[in-house]
Amino acid sequence: MTTQLDSTATEPVRPARRRRRLPDTAALAVVLVALAIFFSTQSPFYLTPNNLLNILVNAAVIGIIAAPGTLLLVAGQFDLSVGSGAAFIGVVMAWSATQWGIPTAVLLALAAGLVIGMVNGFAVTVLGINALITTLATLAILRGLGQVIAGGQTLLLSGFGDLGNARPFLDIPVPVLILVAVVVVMALVMRFTVFGRSMYAIGANPVAARLAGIRTRTMIFGGFLLSGLAVSVGGLILVSQLGAASPNAAMGLELSVVTAVILGGASLAGGRGTILGTVLGVLILGTLNNGLTLMNIDSFWQDVARGVLLLAAVGFDQLRLRFLSDK
Amino acid sequence: MTQLTLSLRDISKSFGGVEVLHQVNLDAVGGEVLALLGENGAGKSTLVKILAGDYTPDGGTIVVDGAESAELNPRSARRLGIRMIHQEFQDAGALTVAENISLGRWPGRGGVISWSRLRRRAEDVLGQMGVDIDPGATVGSLRVGERQIVEIARALADDAQLLILDEPTAALSQQEVDRLFEWVRRLRDRGVCIVYITHRLDEVFELADRVQVLRNGDVALVSATSDVTRRELVEAMVGRDIGEVSRPADLGAPTLGEPLISIRDLEVDDQVAGLSLDVSPGEVVCLYGKLGSGTTQVAEACFGIRRPTRGQLRIGGVEGFPSSPVDAIRRGVGYLPPDRKREGAFMNRTVVENLAAASWSRLSSLGVILARRERSAYDRWSGKLGIKSADPTVQAIANLSGGNQQKVLLARWLERGSNPLVLVEPTRGVDVGARQEIYSAIRALSREGQAVLVVTSDYEEAVQLADRVVVMQRGRQAAEFAGDDVTAQNLTIAAGG
Repeated sequence: MTTQLDSTATEPVRPARRRRRLPDTAALAVVLVALAIFFSTQSPFYLTPNNLLNILVNAAVIGIIAAPGTLLLVAGQFDLSVGSGAAFIGVVMAWSATQWGIPTAVLLALAAGLVIGMVNGFAVTVLGINALITTLATLAILRGLGQVIAGGQTLLLSGFGDLGNARPFLDIPVPVLILVAVVVVMALVMRFTVFGRSMYAIGANPVAARLAGIRTRTMIFGGFLLSGLAVSVGGLILVSQLGAASPNAAMGLELSVVTAVILGGASLAGGRGTILGTVLGVLILGTLNNGLTLMNIDSFWQDVARGVLLLAAVGFDQLRLRFLSDK
Repeated sequence: MTQLTLSLRDISKSFGGVEVLHQVNLDAVGGEVLALLGENGAGKSTLVKILAGDYTPDGGTIVVDGAESAELNPRSARRLGIRMIHQEFQDAGALTVAENISLGRWPGRGGVISWSRLRRRAEDVLGQMGVDIDPGATVGSLRVGERQIVEIARALADDAQLLILDEPTAALSQQEVDRLFEWVRRLRDRGVCIVYITHRLDEVFELADRVQVLRNGDVALVSATSDVTRRELVEAMVGRDIGEVSRPADLGAPTLGEPLISIRDLEVDDQVAGLSLDVSPGEVVCLYGKLGSGTTQVAEACFGIRRPTRGQLRIGGVEGFPSSPVDAIRRGVGYLPPDRKREGAFMNRTVVENLAAASWSRLSSLGVILARRERSAYDRWSGKLGIKSADPTVQAIANLSGGNQQKVLLARWLERGSNPLVLVEPTRGVDVGARQEIYSAIRALSREGQAVLVVTSDYEEAVQLADRVVVMQRGRQAAEFAGDDVTAQNLTIAAGG
């Protein structure tokens, strides 16, 4: 028992990590549990397996898009075009399926997602337009293009229900499985790969990142590309769930994504944020929406709640930044 | 106009337990230009910030017009007519000259600005100064010298009695300097007291009636300008205790092979003209010059941050100017930037990450960073450079001391195997003990075959580090010293005092 003590005299004190990392995510977990307890007292249906799965299914698209969204925010970037992007993807899918069949349409939809990511990435990294303006512009462009292709109509799509509705494994719907896969992969990417760590470095200090030889523009471009890809997956899930594509779908999805990411502890100042936090943020958002619905509260109030949550999350972030810089 | 007399008596001030001013006196008298002279870190800025009410002194008294005043805060300083013109402009670039001149005191009624009165006030002041600047132009569109004059006009419109100018000529052309001096003299003749901070001796003799030299937080000399010589001023600034700053013990070792940095007739915009120098493996060469002398531009050219306008540069065995930091890094150049916080460290990231950031591709396999390899990079250099971190894989670099941070950033390039190294102000904001450790580490590295170019504005650093020193003054190569000729006196005089 005593033989190894001498060689580790200067060995670091491990608990430091726990002490410092715990508060953020732990506080979120507490909020989530508190919300769950509250809603279960308000509605007998809340705490049923079906309803909990329902929350997950509804949160799946937000979560899938919020995962690369976290990566972007960590690098000090963000993508507001995801909502109209998802609707656009749905329209592309439904429209091309009638022309060339479903397999080709899926490929086209995925390609369209990558193109969206490339356009955003090009504008931000090569033209040097900031992410807010760039993605606000593509938000409008994609919403408009979707309307044009769909001719302002809702396009029906049959024979493409499995992606959104099938339960191939343990009775879990496909979107939830995809969510889990995306979240795990992104968490690993952010934590262990050169790409992920470079994004943290870029967000923490863009000048220093450039001077350390990190290819900041390539990395950020890659982040937008991943975001575009996630948008196409999310858009496909949405169109599959509904069996139809509306150019007006996914209104305000970007707000949910940004809210979840910031709620999850990613800082608008960059360099800080985790996938675990974002997952908790997504779940809190989903729980809130679900619970308010079960309580028969008007969906308009859900928008209000979401906005308040975003303000609260950003306000908290600002307080934390001020606290940190005061030290 | 009534003239203000303000005296600081036995002022002391500490930051974080380090006393930067020891019982310093200063007299500011209306109708006189007082030059405040001293090296970086001598305490000039702290002293004038106390004068401007920005800092509260820890001890001492402030006497205004013969009456002892309990304290000087930004508000009371303003009331007394004390104004400071900072090195970095504190104007609003998007607003007009007229708006800036009355900034914070825009005339009007009930929140509605009277543009005619605003403009008239600006024209009055500018007219008094005899300056031809359009009050309607936005300040951002003005040249640096004009901007400075607008700031002075603003102080004047505010009825300044005591004007503090903090190294106002750093970014000015000779013509603009001449104009500025004219305004300063005019203000003095109107009874305004001027405290003029500088480290250029020429300006002292040209402008000042009296000169006060600070050194390491003490007053080293106070005298009428006419009673003092250049030599005396340099000695007061540098000190006779200069013998304590010793040259490295291992001088005279032969260089090891061809130069890794070779610069010929380098020209960078209008900031560097005709610089030539070589740095070979096995030697530490210092490029020494005052702030604004062009030394930083040379360093930036070596690392592909700034593109030179003319000349030849051969670095890391490749001919031609590096096109970007990535290009320079590929040639093997390592670069320690002057501003650690802004350009060097990822403050909220861990020590290990900061150290490994330039070597991730080598420490990873298929894009996945191997934690063990990353950690071993830290272990490789922590002992050699004396980096002290309680838990390098978890601790954020922000929680290390300045000296330790700097060692981590140095190790970033050593881990990458970079050679040559370009180190800009390597010990800025580093305490004395750690400074010596960094110096001996740099010397040791050079003995092992590193070519090191140290760019510094601290002559003590050059004396303690360099095999050879190239001195720059106002963009030009002023002198080169080697061996025993590298002395504080030689360096400061060559750099323009």
